[in-house]
Amino acid sequence: MTTAMLAVFIGSSIRLAMPLLLAAVGELVSERAGVLNMSLEGMMLAGAFAGAVGSWSTGSPLLGLIIAIVAVGPVALIQAFLTVTLRANQIVSGLGLNILVLGSTTLGYRWIFGARSRETIPGFDRWSPPLLKDIPIFGDAVFTQVWLVFAVPFIILAIAAVLRFTVLGISVHAAGEDPGTLDRAGVSAVRIRYGVILFTGSMAALGGAFISIGDIHTFTEGMTNGAGYLAIAAVIFGNWTIWRSVIACLLFGTATALQFQLPAMGVHVPSAVLIMSPYVLAFLSVAGLAGRQTAPKALATPYWR
Amino acid sequence: MTISVPPSARQRTRLWPSGLVVPLGVTIPVASVLASFAVGLLLVVLMGAPLGQALSSFLDGAFGSSYAISVSLNRAAVYSLVGLGFIFANRANLTNVGAEGQIAVGGIAATAVALVPGIADLPLGLSFVVPTLAAMLAGAIWGGIAGVLKARIGTSEVISTLLLSFIAVWLVYWCVQSEHLLRQPMTSAATLPESLPIPETTQLPLVTGDYGAPANLGLPLAFFLAIAVAVVLGYSRFGFQLKAVGFNPLAARRAGFSTRQTIVVAFLVAGAFGGLAGAVMLLGDQYSLKAGFSSGYGYDGLVVGLLARGSTVGVIATALLFGFLRSGGISMEMGAGVPAALVLVIQGLIVVSVSGAAFWLDRRQPAKE
Repeated sequence: MTTAMLAVFIGSSIRLAMPLLLAAVGELVSERAGVLNMSLEGMMLAGAFAGAVGSWSTGSPLLGLIIAIVAVGPVALIQAFLTVTLRANQIVSGLGLNILVLGSTTLGYRWIFGARSRETIPGFDRWSPPLLKDIPIFGDAVFTQVWLVFAVPFIILAIAAVLRFTVLGISVHAAGEDPGTLDRAGVSAVRIRYGVILFTGSMAALGGAFISIGDIHTFTEGMTNGAGYLAIAAVIFGNWTIWRSVIACLLFGTATALQFQLPAMGVHVPSAVLIMSPYVLAFLSVAGLAGRQTAPKALATPYWR
Repeated sequence: MTISVPPSARQRTRLWPSGLVVPLGVTIPVASVLASFAVGLLLVVLMGAPLGQALSSFLDGAFGSSYAISVSLNRAAVYSLVGLGFIFANRANLTNVGAEGQIAVGGIAATAVALVPGIADLPLGLSFVVPTLAAMLAGAIWGGIAGVLKARIGTSEVISTLLLSFIAVWLVYWCVQSEHLLRQPMTSAATLPESLPIPETTQLPLVTGDYGAPANLGLPLAFFLAIAVAVVLGYSRFGFQLKAVGFNPLAARRAGFSTRQTIVVAFLVAGAFGGLAGAVMLLGDQYSLKAGFSSGYGYDGLVVGLLARGSTVGVIATALLFGFLRSGGISMEMGAGVPAALVLVIQGLIVVSVSGAAFWLDRRQPAKE
């Protein structure tokens, strides 16, 4: 591999990891509070769709991004109402929402754009930060990205800080370990869980919109194509800690980029093996082959006051 | 962590004015199915499609010809088998969301064995029974892995079966991508990435014996197995053991039941059902392994199992409903230009509303472990 190819490869790994990172960090927060939010895939798809439609109708990708976040709100609210208020099985309601969103966005897309349209949608422009872009070879290939990419590290840092150092962060952890005790301490576990689901919705919306208006500049039916599940796998592989989850996302992004890179280098690894690899890694880690797993105690358990 | 779908919720009953007693466990799913259909019809109208034409092409696709009916029945057979496996494991309070993967490995095993030289020449129907058994074994292993992990180290079966599903789906891709595995020999660049067609003797016999109405043995088999599952769950010692472990693992252990063994066996059985569904799809309908052949069947079957709420009659009824719904939806897209995604919307609404309605059905706090 030449240095130039390596640079392109690193650039595309980062780009492909971005939607995963945004969604996975959101999912991490919600799982930390005890909600296994299986509707992540549906939330991302809804975000991708609403972002595309918003950007197309207003002509501004930034407005599209905001519309994506707003549009995913109702999906998150339904998920929260079902799992927190009605104490529905989190997996079942999540899978149901995923089916519903897949159907609705497909219908909506055909309705708005007509069948088989590949209309280009206004997306974010690429940009490179002043100093970094002057690095020879790597500067352009790695650091010329849409601005959202540069915002992601700060978003993650902020979330990590809130989780680690604030009362809110401690409450989130408590809602996932022992919601009863949290309630008795005077913090409503129900509110925390509603809050984290809405938060996850916004993060998933950003991740989804990143795919449609940040990367591909169009919408296709079911375009998230399992990215939500991959993000959940990253949280599991990351053993419910933020930094390991981030590393997992970068790893999964690299595996995806390898699919395109290896054939170009004349290496023939079946692409199925590469696509499968993140799931295999996540599976090995839940199977206890990658150290002890410490899931939040009350994960996926409805809370009865 | 535990997933609580209380296995046998206290079924409250409601007295209708006529004095007819209909359990709430039937009323709610039926009502949500009807309401979801109403929303579907509304959407058809909103989208400006001619309602009459949409309905007639829907019915055409679902019931219009003996071919259409057969296709719907074959679909229903796969859903039933997956649903039966789901309610079996769910009796022990286990949620098997891995049917998609169990179907996939079942399909791989069925194809691989059917293509082994000599299998096609076996007498007495063994030519299709052996590949079917291989598929069940493969499915059982795939399900069993999740069971062992749950029993040994307490890994959430939801997470492990979901991950195993993704792995299995891509295994199918790998199998048909690579000539060392199951891909047919490349004769030209246009050779499709799929396996060789399976020999005719390894195909599952058609009930009618006529490719014009290709209803295979799947649905009769599902009926038979539904009775078997109902008997095992309702009247056998093992059925009681499953229920005991699901209801209160500690009490079950005190009573001398091995929880670990029960969990593993429950998953072996659920997985075998998934594998069988894969065999029925491959040997009875598809006849060659293609990438993504299982797409959506496992999740649809899971929904069937959920809606049935533990009842085998419910599984068959819901499976038939969904079988015809899917076929009708596909035909509606071709006939009236209404996207088949409408069916997904209806299905999603059903699942979401039924999952929420469990609040009124299972109004009891899960036992603390």
